[in-house]
Amino acid sequence: MIDLLRSELLKVRTTRGWWGYLAVIVLLAGLGTAADLGSTSEEQLAEPEYQRGLVEGIGVAALLGIVLGITIITSEFRHGTITPTLLTEPRRERVVGAKAVAALLLAVVFALVALAILSAVAVTWLSIVGEAIHATDGQVVRRAAQMLLFALLWALLGVAIGTLVQSQVVALVGTLIWLFLAETILIGVLGLLDLDGLADYLPFQALDSADGTTDDLLPYWAGVGVSLGWIAVIGAAGTERLRRRDIT
Amino acid sequence: MIEVENLSKRFGKTQAVAGLSFRVEPGTITGFLGPNGAGKSTTLRSILDLVHPDAGRAVVLGVPYRRLDRPLHRVGAVLEASEVHPGRSGRNHLRVLAAAAGLPRSRVEEVLALVELSASAKRRVRGYSLGMRQRLGLAAALLGDPEVLVLDEPANGLDPAGIRWLRDLLRSLATEGRTILISSHVLAEVAQTVDRVVIIHRGRLVQQATVAEVLAGAQGATRVRTPDPARLREVLATEGIDGDEAGGVLLVDAPPERVGELAAANGVVLHELGVERATLEEVFLELTGGETTE
Repeated sequence: MIDLLRSELLKVRTTRGWWGYLAVIVLLAGLGTAADLGSTSEEQLAEPEYQRGLVEGIGVAALLGIVLGITIITSEFRHGTITPTLLTEPRRERVVGAKAVAALLLAVVFALVALAILSAVAVTWLSIVGEAIHATDGQVVRRAAQMLLFALLWALLGVAIGTLVQSQVVALVGTLIWLFLAETILIGVLGLLDLDGLADYLPFQALDSADGTTDDLLPYWAGVGVSLGWIAVIGAAGTERLRRRDIT
Repeated sequence: MIEVENLSKRFGKTQAVAGLSFRVEPGTITGFLGPNGAGKSTTLRSILDLVHPDAGRAVVLGVPYRRLDRPLHRVGAVLEASEVHPGRSGRNHLRVLAAAAGLPRSRVEEVLALVELSASAKRRVRGYSLGMRQRLGLAAALLGDPEVLVLDEPANGLDPAGIRWLRDLLRSLATEGRTILISSHVLAEVAQTVDRVVIIHRGRLVQQATVAEVLAGAQGATRVRTPDPARLREVLATEGIDGDEAGGVLLVDAPPERVGELAAANGVVLHELGVERATLEEVFLELTGGETTE
């Protein structure tokens, strides 16, 4: 299993996409934080609560995590490399497992890079405008940890979706459509049917509850639990589909 | 070594393989032959557990492929040459596979040298010719130093020099005692390399034998040279035997003994009497109904 994991990490590192991911994270986390700071009044900049909120910029790791999770499996089908991969490890569920662990590790890297960049930007900015830095307490650590877990859940969901859908374009585009359109429509429909409570259990609504910032959805741990449930269901269906599939 | 038993597989309306059984003996090079679409790739992919047959089974080294411990160390396979990430270098493609199989990096350099690809190993596979991709595929198959090799149309995309190189490589691999199953739709590519052939057509076994047996079983025409071909044809015709004349030589559809006896009985002078051997290619075309796509 360690060998498989090493192989999966090597696969990601030996294509140009890897540098693309890191570049996007540096760019989004850096610019996002700078834009946030620049559009905030000096009064607010001094508030500890505002400063703590800046770690939510780690959220870019979630976005890139789900893209990586989808890509880590669908690119094997796109390029036909699934054949040599399965010749090396014919037990297909182990391949999915190795990819899930690889995606988790890479999501941690993404989150740490985002945290490093946003901290550097924030500390530099606050020093220049002469504000004291308050956000060094346990609360900020807790919030950063929640954002890290948030990114991990998105990456895992990506692997689950990729395993089930298997076509790269359909998985990426489909996830975007689901995220920005289908869930919104479903929430509306459930509202009309007086089933508003159910909407909180939709995949990305549950994930939203798991970032530790929004209060109007599920409680934090329930959000994490429901998210894990979706990941397990989609991942199990995907693994079963992969196990049955003829690789021609 | 490789045993296929009653293998059947249908894709939609196409019955790709229908009750196919054959064995590949240890230490031999076996040619797996048939026209395009005969079911060769489906059979090879079933042997490697990539395709799930509807019925029957295939075992490698006594077990289904998925039960092999560290399969890359036991069985090497070259399937389609395109199954490589185009943005990865040849060396990195092999490193990824070596890592998964628990093989050291030094082994990657060894197989690169073996397939004469070391000089291009740094380049992205996108820029490789089809022949280079075939070599890369072979390098991947040889990574684990396996005792069994399964090659699906490895000569595709190779130029004549490349085919000759492949033939020499396969011979040396076989000399080391490896078992090789190599598919092709062009018999000439493998005729000089293989010990045995398994010929399939429309998903069914047509013949499984040594090359010598296949040739011996093929009825060749009798070749006769005579100063009076017209007279000989008359004599043969009275016995209902056909003969084609071409450049003073008669090709007759009867054993040489019979032709000689008839000529002697009727006082026809013969200058030459012999058997025209069918080539393996002719036998192959005959067995598969001449439906090769060339």
